[in-house]
Amino acid sequence: MTVAADHALSGIRVLDLTDELGAYATRLLADLGADVIRVEPPGGSRTRQEPPLVEGPAGTCVSAFDAFVNAGKRSVTIDLRSVKGRAVLHALIGTADVLVESFPAAVGDRLGLEPFTLAAANPGLVHVSVTPFGRGRSGEAVDDDDLTIMAAGGLLHLGGYADSEPVVAYGGQARNAASLFAAVGALVTLLHREKTGRGDWIDVSAQECVAQALEDSVATYEFAGDVRQRLGSDAREAGSGIYTCADGLVSMIAGRVGTAKAWRALVAWLVESDATGAEALQGDPWASLRYRQTPAAIAEFGHVFGEFARTRSRLELYRGAQARGIALSPVNDICQLMADEQLRAREFWVTVPEPVLGGDATFPGPPYRLSETPAVPARSAPTPGADTDEVLGELGERGRVLTR
Amino acid sequence: MTDERPLTGVRVLDFTWVGAGALATKLMADLGADVIKIESRARPDNLRLAPPFRHGHEDLEGSGYFASRNSSKRSFALNMALPASRAIALRMAAQADVVASNFRPGIMERWGMSYPELKAINPSVVYLTMPMQGSSGPHAAFTGFGATIAALSGLVSLSGLPDRPAVGTGTHFPDHVPNPGHALVGTLAALLHRARTGVGQAVEVSQLESTINVIGPAIVEASLAPERRQVRAGNRATGASPRGVFPCAIKEDWVAIVCRTDAHWKTLADALGEPGLAFDDRFVTLADRHAHEDELERIVSAETQRFDRAELVSVLRQRGVPAAPVNSSKDILSDPDLVARGYWKRLEHPVIGEMSIARPPMLFGSGSGAVLTRPPLLGEHTAEIARDVLGMTDEDTARLIADGVLA
Repeated sequence: MTVAADHALSGIRVLDLTDELGAYATRLLADLGADVIRVEPPGGSRTRQEPPLVEGPAGTCVSAFDAFVNAGKRSVTIDLRSVKGRAVLHALIGTADVLVESFPAAVGDRLGLEPFTLAAANPGLVHVSVTPFGRGRSGEAVDDDDLTIMAAGGLLHLGGYADSEPVVAYGGQARNAASLFAAVGALVTLLHREKTGRGDWIDVSAQECVAQALEDSVATYEFAGDVRQRLGSDAREAGSGIYTCADGLVSMIAGRVGTAKAWRALVAWLVESDATGAEALQGDPWASLRYRQTPAAIAEFGHVFGEFARTRSRLELYRGAQARGIALSPVNDICQLMADEQLRAREFWVTVPEPVLGGDATFPGPPYRLSETPAVPARSAPTPGADTDEVLGELGERGRVLTR
Repeated sequence: MTDERPLTGVRVLDFTWVGAGALATKLMADLGADVIKIESRARPDNLRLAPPFRHGHEDLEGSGYFASRNSSKRSFALNMALPASRAIALRMAAQADVVASNFRPGIMERWGMSYPELKAINPSVVYLTMPMQGSSGPHAAFTGFGATIAALSGLVSLSGLPDRPAVGTGTHFPDHVPNPGHALVGTLAALLHRARTGVGQAVEVSQLESTINVIGPAIVEASLAPERRQVRAGNRATGASPRGVFPCAIKEDWVAIVCRTDAHWKTLADALGEPGLAFDDRFVTLADRHAHEDELERIVSAETQRFDRAELVSVLRQRGVPAAPVNSSKDILSDPDLVARGYWKRLEHPVIGEMSIARPPMLFGSGSGAVLTRPPLLGEHTAEIARDVLGMTDEDTARLIADGVLA
């Protein structure tokens, strides 16, 4: 495979030994033009069985998770339980700029991936370890789950309904957080390496990555001793929350800090639309955010806006609010999202062949647009071991000896 | 520990404010970049006006929320409403490696600080913008917050219990991880490209497009199985049962437990003192447990309430079952792993006093990682930056302060 020299990470080789926790990190690097080689055990990495699963004809099955996070990588099959397999792995590490792995400490050590040991053979290597609690935690053999990491990282406690148990955010967000910061760790170190010639070992804790998302809650506890509780979709104040409309839900933030204008615009909109009870929202005491945060104000506003929204569609409210500078959005399901006119106008969605099922898959486009080094056009994930011969062939004579 | 840190020598001219942008530049500052935050008393960062306040009342220097996102930065007071200020901003931009902003499209342009204009005076600049929905298209001017972007992106509709309305994440999640994270990846990749080739570029992070990527697999699934209706599943997931959050002996002490295998489930039943549950016909295999999930969760909840959370987590983890406390904002400050790794930095602030601020979520083996300094007071570094970066005399600075330019 050749990557044109006009990508940000052209010429950077990444060895990918991650599971669910780190696979999106190397996907990001692949999209930026790095040559990402995913090392899989015989039979394929366990990400290949990760839900959501889609069954195809003749007993085929594809993990939509694997298809997304491993797109654009090359795959080699190496049996790391064998001495020969580990020798091939270390030969490949010798050719790599970046190694990202998510092994528990004991497994990593057994494979010869102890922190710092790889620097002797490859001083420029950027070695990123991604683990649930940091690689230093040892002495237990727990294969953690996104739910336990979201719990330990504190974000789970803030999610859910006021009267329910905490409910986790959809989508494996601990994995995403860990992957994002693993990619950040790799890139800052590659940048530093340009100056020093030296790599480093970066120890990413997924728990810490989740704990970046705690908003104002930690300071609120430290300053006043208040432990923030789940509010669910209940409004935090009049003007902010999730509201029901004719054909679904909308989410609105109007009147929070810095958006006093939006509150006035919202009231003016309600008044000019002859919404029942809207005139009472004008002027004092409603101009005060503190008043709007009282339960009585939340209830009264909820009633007025609820009546107004009941006869209006999601998109009608979206356009009406945005025309007035009010931050209101529909709560989209995936179908509604994929029909969004803005994303279509920006040609965001990309189509990628799905080699196992034989059709096309739709992927989100890249999360950023770089003017000089655009993302590599979307590619499929490799089948397990698809590039074994090619990658080992690149090792030359050494590869032939090792694999003989 | 050496003084040299990964981003030492990188200068960021930082117009970001409020949420996502400020967290991205915080990480750069913590890792050694010289991040110069542009703000003014005429138009302070909204986050300076956001609770909690240390002294209970609104105070530009007392917001804990602002402090948590602005460690290690320097603050330069510059009232961008005035033409004289824009000339100064341009002189600073000419010397910056990165110019970062997260305004809606049009603001930087109004100030004469569009990418083409900055590129003309600083050809290799990396120019980060973070418009809500991108700088083009029919919704380019639309406004939003983390919560509304999460709603647009599909993340909210998929988060919650199946028999109740969508609930989302309880936070402005896109502002805290997906958008600062992607902004950092794009910006750092551009800096690396510049270091290798000398070529700068513009990095545009549409906060909507960025957030959709954190539910990427749901998009792929919807396209491959269009007939399938994607539904909220709460804490449950295919392939594990029970997988949930259960109450412990103390009120509001919750524990997350995940049984991926029959062995995990048997261990949980033993730990709860009810080994017979593992042999109950309804719960023997994963398929059985999925089929009777409501009853299973009811029974497990009733049992976990008899246990101290820390003890239950410890017993389960020793025996290989994924389990963790659902840490509250109080618990998280004393979490043993976070404490052992020095995640919370205690910083002394002249107005706030001592407070805990998170360092970047990674340790560097070389020891050259994050060093946090306290968040700046508004305009605290104006005079030193005017002198060192702009080469102004103290008289010039005093005059510009008096004229309301550096204010």
